[in-house]
Amino acid sequence: MVRGMKLTGALCAAAMLVLGGAGSASAEKMKDGHPDLSGFWGVKFERKPTGQALIDELPKGTVMIKDTGPGELKEGDFGGLTLTPRALEQVKKYSYANDTSVANNCKSPTMAFLMQAPFPMEIHQGKDMIILKMEYFDMVRIVDMDRSKHTPPDAPHSKSGDSIGHWEGDTLVVDTDHLESGTMMNNGFDHTENMHVIEKFRLSPDGKTLWATQLYEDPDTFEGKAARYLSWTRKPGEYVYPYDCDPNYLKE
Amino acid sequence: MRKFCGALLFCFVFGMAAPAGAHHSFVVTYLPDKLISVTGVVSEFRFSNPHGIVRFTVKTPEGLEAEWRAETNSPNVLRRRGWKPDSIKIGDLITVTGWPARDGSNLIRVNKITLPSGKELVGQAPAPVSKSGEAQ
Repeated sequence: MVRGMKLTGALCAAAMLVLGGAGSASAEKMKDGHPDLSGFWGVKFERKPTGQALIDELPKGTVMIKDTGPGELKEGDFGGLTLTPRALEQVKKYSYANDTSVANNCKSPTMAFLMQAPFPMEIHQGKDMIILKMEYFDMVRIVDMDRSKHTPPDAPHSKSGDSIGHWEGDTLVVDTDHLESGTMMNNGFDHTENMHVIEKFRLSPDGKTLWATQLYEDPDTFEGKAARYLSWTRKPGEYVYPYDCDPNYLKE
Repeated sequence: MRKFCGALLFCFVFGMAAPAGAHHSFVVTYLPDKLISVTGVVSEFRFSNPHGIVRFTVKTPEGLEAEWRAETNSPNVLRRRGWKPDSIKIGDLITVTGWPARDGSNLIRVNKITLPSGKELVGQAPAPVSKSGEAQ
């Protein structure tokens, strides 16, 4: 596993050299004419979404999960989702006492929950590939811009999944599947391996804020569609820190 | 927990809500609407993710010693707020202000820590608890 992590790190380092560093200038457009999302992005704590336009584009009836950034749902509050019997059964069996167990402390969520955490990210943008280097649990997301189909159904599932992207005007649209099962909101149930996520990323007109929505579909976990709204502030010259996780941190 | 309130410099209640979310559920472990302060001598400071831990010894009014643990926000977040791995030293007399554990154990989630010099290290500020999502 360590060898795998080193290989991933080496690949990412090589890709970042090709794509350019996180501290690159925040020009409004790339050479290919698309918005320049590259750089360091810190979570923006908004009382009221400044990227309401993205929220308005979500399908009608979408349930907005409001636990992003500093927010957190209380036990038994599923953010307005109607859970399936499978998910409810999982909640019933879940032990909150084990929430901070050694086995659980350093268990990374999938990108379906990880993106909402109050940690920054770096974006390294190229024409054929965009990398989202997340600080939280050191996740590195690779968005393949040069592919229109996901990997075959029997390809491995992972925390970051298989992400393919395209531009719709000035909006980056990222379609992700092949996710492992993982927590949906730290409230006792997991999404399944069939989770499908569509993200939209868009810069504010001044280029200083990055807005995003994550639209989720997982019929084995909840009814209909659900979404989170996310926003970040561009902070030139900063970098993500490594996330060294100590599972024994709460051990007596 | 309640029996130790007498040992605290002050133990007070605010109409405050939960702080930033973490990898595990804050509100399941801590009381989000209550802030207390506990003073003691540091015996250990672990500055590692997912959360840091400060262990400290509190003297009770009866003259006994009680071991407490203070859980901080992620060190990555704290570094950006001015914390360092050596910000808190063994032997320091500190006052930890934060949210007490639901189970009444000697565990507190750090809002801020006051050092012997009077300097305050802010861990995390209170923030609104989210409510159920609303269908659009």
